Amino acid sequence: MIRLHKPIASLIVASLLLGACAAPVAAPQAPAAPAATEPPAAPAATQAPAAPSGEVVKAEPGKAVKMVLLPKFLGIAVFDQANQGAQEAHKELGNPEKLEFLGPTPENSVAGQIEIVTTAATQGVNAVMLSNNAGDQIVPAVKKAVEAGTKVVTWDSPIPSAEGESVFVAQVDFNETGKVMADMALSILGADGGKFAVLSASPDAANQNAWIAAMKEALKDPKYAKLELLDVVYGNDQSEESYKQALALVDKYPDMELIMAPTTVGIAAAAKAMTDEGLCDKVKVSGLGLPAEMVEYTKSGCAPEFALWSFVDLGYLTYYLTYLLATNQIEAKEGVKFKAGRMGEYTITKDPTREKGLRVLMGPFTVYNKDNVDK
Amino acid sequence: MKAITRAIRPEQLREITLAALIVVVVLFFSSQIQGYFSGRTFNRVTASVAIIAVVAVGQTLVVLTRNIDLSVGSIVGFSAYFVGTQLANDNTLSPAFAIALAIGLGALMGAINGALVAYGRVPAIIVTLGTLAIYRTILVDMSGAKTVVVDALPQWLKDLPRTNLIQIGELDIRLMFGLAVFVVLVFQLVLVYLRFGRRLYAIGSNPEAARNAGLPTQRIVFSAFVLCGALAGLAGFMFLARFGTITVVAGQGMELQSVAAVVVGGVNIFGGSGSMIGAFLGATLIDLLEQSLIRWLRVSEFWRDALLGLLILLAVASDAVILNRLRRIWAQDGVSVQGKPVE
Repeated sequence: MIRLHKPIASLIVASLLLGACAAPVAAPQAPAAPAATEPPAAPAATQAPAAPSGEVVKAEPGKAVKMVLLPKFLGIAVFDQANQGAQEAHKELGNPEKLEFLGPTPENSVAGQIEIVTTAATQGVNAVMLSNNAGDQIVPAVKKAVEAGTKVVTWDSPIPSAEGESVFVAQVDFNETGKVMADMALSILGADGGKFAVLSASPDAANQNAWIAAMKEALKDPKYAKLELLDVVYGNDQSEESYKQALALVDKYPDMELIMAPTTVGIAAAAKAMTDEGLCDKVKVSGLGLPAEMVEYTKSGCAPEFALWSFVDLGYLTYYLTYLLATNQIEAKEGVKFKAGRMGEYTITKDPTREKGLRVLMGPFTVYNKDNVDK
Repeated sequence: MKAITRAIRPEQLREITLAALIVVVVLFFSSQIQGYFSGRTFNRVTASVAIIAVVAVGQTLVVLTRNIDLSVGSIVGFSAYFVGTQLANDNTLSPAFAIALAIGLGALMGAINGALVAYGRVPAIIVTLGTLAIYRTILVDMSGAKTVVVDALPQWLKDLPRTNLIQIGELDIRLMFGLAVFVVLVFQLVLVYLRFGRRLYAIGSNPEAARNAGLPTQRIVFSAFVLCGALAGLAGFMFLARFGTITVVAGQGMELQSVAAVVVGGVNIFGGSGSMIGAFLGATLIDLLEQSLIRWLRVSEFWRDALLGLLILLAVASDAVILNRLRRIWAQDGVSVQGKPVE
């Protein structure tokens, strides 16, 4: 109980202090404990609830909020980049508490995430930023955490039912993903179009399915009339399976000219398979990929174009939103606007992909080709 | 009849059955998939089976002694990542050094498993389930979330997967497949002709009898684990060459794939019987089925795994039934049969 006590106490004190000063104050750089010795100058009631909708809330820096950034699992470059972004925002906002980057190991991802959420709640963490890999299995743990006063914000991958989650920070608009993929296909195959197939992660990955559905929708536009989607196959985000599936596509469809893989594992494995089998002249690879992993293939012409969003920005934006929510400067409500440091203004909206959820949309994509892939 | 029962043992018949099954699968899918019966299918399967075949050889050594190694997937990943990082940092490292490093690392991790199982007397399934997680965790911690990227690797490694050992018409025998076959044959000879190999069977058939007969069972079980780790390390090097992009999830799930190959290949999971050729054929059959099913338009993505599982069960069950029948025939003919008694 003592562990739970301290951060909450310091949080209350910090918010009281802030409520007392109308103008933005300089960040009190002192750690949380000394803050408790300063006399609260004003009654708690003056703390305004959330800003009325329509007004853009700018974060008051310097509040002590204990936060945990929880990726799907540790050891993956993109999650580390998200952590960089979150740490950058953490410094900017001068939060005297620690921002912890905690995650399970790959083989223990689902159970590990549930455990970390549970532990965070009992240890009095104020907010957990979660890239959910456990589907709705995580809901009971998240609900308990919320009851204990922990805010849960998701990023990268939401809680499907949205239960317990405050807001989801979506990396890109799912419809835009579909359009970006169709555009890249058209740009690679040329005005005459051609046949292509999709190599996805797993058949039950919500974001992958939404992207593919959005791409099918985009393909109805007469602009893409000459593109023909042959098949959708799944490599389960494993190098071995993706590699095999890519070659199977080549064997199945002799007139296929492009493999579109909206997964970083899939796109790298497909490009390697085409390179190893000397098929790059016939079949190109595109999709969503990491520049560092794709340099080799973009330069060789095997994967002339691919896209991705910035995970650093995703972490940064998630941190700002979570900080604002955890310090009660904003409420998780439709129409609430806030400023996320260097990234500008964002609005909380209904999530069109989930019935109950709220989301903040980051966007946009960066399209990489041989001119910018190694920068 | 006697002539046949004298000439071959039931275990060899099991291998023949597997080979026949492979032929049946090939014939069936040839009638289903256009352009299936070609050199291309051969090239696809051989290139893809090479890595798991090497892991399965190591797994067989351990399973023969009535143990199991569930940490092989983590060892493959660790060795692929570690060697990949060294090569990315210094492109001038020689291939021989890289391979030796991979094998050495694997052997070291295998030695930890072996010591705990053989001398610590902890059940293998517990030890290796623990080290599965431990090796992976060390890898995650060591990696600092960096990925080994193809761009940074030396050219010889990038070229390795497409290097042919020999080319016969449409058929490419890739260097990596050649290496896998070499490993299988060497260890098959070890099992048949070396004292070490025979002792593995003795320990697996009856550990107590083996101990009473004065066999150094602890040392032998320890060596089996070291060799299994070393082979997983070698497979890690092959994994690095084949996929290039290595993250901390590399090799995940290989422990179960290797156990599946071994079991389908007729190696008794309770130790004491089986062969390297069998394990190799088991790995080939599974990969062939998988590769065929993903090319067979009639099967939806969602049913593929279930169908693959069903076929594996069928293969094992029919194999067991046939083998039991055959053993009875052999027993009637009065030829001594190695391995488990007839039920």
